Amino acid sequence: MEEIKKELEKCKKEKEEILNSFKRERADFINYKKDEMERAGKTLNYFLEETVSELLPVLDSFALARKEAPEKKEGWMEGFLKIENQLKEFLKSLGVEEIDASLGKDFDPNFHEAVEVVEGEKSQTINEEIQKGYLLKGRVIRPSKVKVVK
Amino acid sequence: MGKIIGIDLGTTFSAMANVTGGEPRIIENREGGRTTPSIVALSKSGERLVGVIARRQQITNPQNTIFSAKRLIGRRYNDPEVQKDKKLLPYEIKEASDGGIEIKMGENWHKPAEISAMVLKKLKQDAEEKLGEKITDAIITCPAYFDDSQRKATKIAGEIAGFNVRRVINEPTAAALAYGLTKKKNEQIVVYDFGGGTFDISVLDIAEDTIEVKATGGDTHLGGDDFDQKVMDWLIEQFKKDQGIDLSKDQLALQRIKEVAEKAKIELSTSLETEINLPFITSGQDGPKHLYYKMSRAVLENLVSDYISKSINLVKETLKEADLKIEDIEEVVMVGGQTRMPKIQEEVKRLFNKEVNKEINPDEVVALGVAIQGEILSAKDEGRKTEGDVKDMLLLDVTPLSLGIETLGGVSTVLISKNTTIPASKSQVFSTAADNQTSVQVHVLQGERPMAKDNKSLGQFILDGIPPAMRGIPQIEVQFDIDANGILSVSAKDKASGKSQSIRIEGSTGISKEEVEKMKKDAEMHAEEDKKKKELIEERNLADNLIHTSEKTLKDLGEKVEESKKKEANEKIEELKKVKDQDDLNAIKEKNSQLSQIMQQIGKDAYSQEKAPEGQENQSKENEKPEEGEYKEEKESN
Repeated sequence: MEEIKKELEKCKKEKEEILNSFKRERADFINYKKDEMERAGKTLNYFLEETVSELLPVLDSFALARKEAPEKKEGWMEGFLKIENQLKEFLKSLGVEEIDASLGKDFDPNFHEAVEVVEGEKSQTINEEIQKGYLLKGRVIRPSKVKVVK
Repeated sequence: MGKIIGIDLGTTFSAMANVTGGEPRIIENREGGRTTPSIVALSKSGERLVGVIARRQQITNPQNTIFSAKRLIGRRYNDPEVQKDKKLLPYEIKEASDGGIEIKMGENWHKPAEISAMVLKKLKQDAEEKLGEKITDAIITCPAYFDDSQRKATKIAGEIAGFNVRRVINEPTAAALAYGLTKKKNEQIVVYDFGGGTFDISVLDIAEDTIEVKATGGDTHLGGDDFDQKVMDWLIEQFKKDQGIDLSKDQLALQRIKEVAEKAKIELSTSLETEINLPFITSGQDGPKHLYYKMSRAVLENLVSDYISKSINLVKETLKEADLKIEDIEEVVMVGGQTRMPKIQEEVKRLFNKEVNKEINPDEVVALGVAIQGEILSAKDEGRKTEGDVKDMLLLDVTPLSLGIETLGGVSTVLISKNTTIPASKSQVFSTAADNQTSVQVHVLQGERPMAKDNKSLGQFILDGIPPAMRGIPQIEVQFDIDANGILSVSAKDKASGKSQSIRIEGSTGISKEEVEKMKKDAEMHAEEDKKKKELIEERNLADNLIHTSEKTLKDLGEKVEESKKKEANEKIEELKKVKDQDDLNAIKEKNSQLSQIMQQIGKDAYSQEKAPEGQENQSKENEKPEEGEYKEEKESN
């Protein structure tokens, strides 16, 4: 009799455990589904960010090319540089904005990354923008690389 | 009760994770990053910065930007390691009154633990924000070679940050946990951790109840960054040779080269060759210069071969220290981003003569492992089974291979795909292949090949008593059901008559690992030809269908079909009949398309004939109006 009682107790306890685990699993699954919807949205944004970030070096090359372009930008040269516009317009449509890192602006590590320190007048201001930085939908995807006054 | 999170407190980067939905997951920081630089700074304006923001202003504020605090935590000032590292640190450190270390940031002196606490505090805040609840407890990692004092200091760092630090566990142990290796007994494990700045080897002994660190080794100043440097040096050398310009003096060029060097190194882990392209890298006497090189994986491997051999030798040394031989090691775990390099995986595999554990993201494996430890403790606290364990208990298996039935043309149609967690159940409705077919044969198959004959036959049965009907009309629901014990039940039910038949197959999951691998490999090897075969069969089935419906349509429409079109249709039907049983896929496709076209025309003609006889369209429209009127009247009278 005792044996059976013990067995029963054990079984009851196990049943409770299993039932609770099951309920938890169900709840987790439902919550997981909810989370997954959110995650799906985030993943899309993540991939957008990744892709846009990969395109930025192309913009950089254009900027460098522009710097070296001869004064008179006629004909072929003009057309070629217009390609930069195409790329910029496309990125704009995705929500990409340039970060303001103009001369004299206060250095802000939230948006700028200092790559060199130089002598100058106003301390902790931007002396030169080395590489453009960009925001995607308001979030920094690449900080501006700048030279900062000591 | 607050959640427990796991934190990998690294020298250069830290990461945090917890278990949600039974899975360990990295928790992103406020900036959306999966890792956070272990850097703290006091800005010129007196603001405390932590993480990526601190790193961005590092160069403008070197004396007040504290990094690599982990190299100093819990150590004595006079430690030779500390004195060596001191030379590389741009910030000031001094000996504390108790022989420890103090770091100057701004006007204040901080213990290294306080600096690490600032990083941990940011992680805590970001995690609470992300998870939407208070986090009270944490488990923090430390290297296996940390002594008591360093471990204590790590714990204190956590406490200063506001955590109840439940444990400080070894990084290699966390990695082993992530791979589930700690469940084994009496096994020796080697953890090969090649990160950005340090290389660590640990030999672990997994016993019944304990995990013991038998030996540690490595090089605290060897990491992926050194590999990047080799690539940079190579690029600068090449450019010097080709263009006579030394780019190492050009700050901006150096920046760009550094970025592409790391990118190229990473690319070569998945490609055999990569392009390094930096237009307008500098200006020479005769105009702008461009850097463009192709780097092959072989060249990269050559550049870093010394580093890799060094790492292998250090492993051998560490094993010797642990008094173990290569054969004594049961498992090898790869940790750290640099272990993604194929050459490194190859060399380690060669050394141990076995496959290494590398499936889990090597940058995150330690954090994920700590999260698992957190879950184990959480479960204990709450008096329940851990989420992972419960899964183990109830859902022990996945189907290693796809399960399905044979369908028209000898094709294998999958109902439950491979790697489906069980218990699982899936059903699909099929139909008959011929007119007045009153029985179907359900042939159950296991395997990945598209053709039934190439897969394993698990059994078959017949369902009869299907009411006679045109082919494709009857609805036969076939259901596959695998229970928790791996027993597969397949049933077929005719929806019209309600008749059903079933079969029970045991051991569908009990197939040996070798056999599973072989079948998967076979499928891969034959993928191309199997695809072609399947396409041929499908096109042939389509042809059969077309012929059948076309002949029926022509018969039904009879006189309504224009003579010339009828002739063409019949011709096309004959042509199709000729080619369909041959093996020329394109010929069948062509004839299918031709027959479809003519039948479509015939169909169109038939419909427009129904609408209105030729030349009487206007009249019929007028006729419609009175009809509408009649309808209206009828309504009103109601």
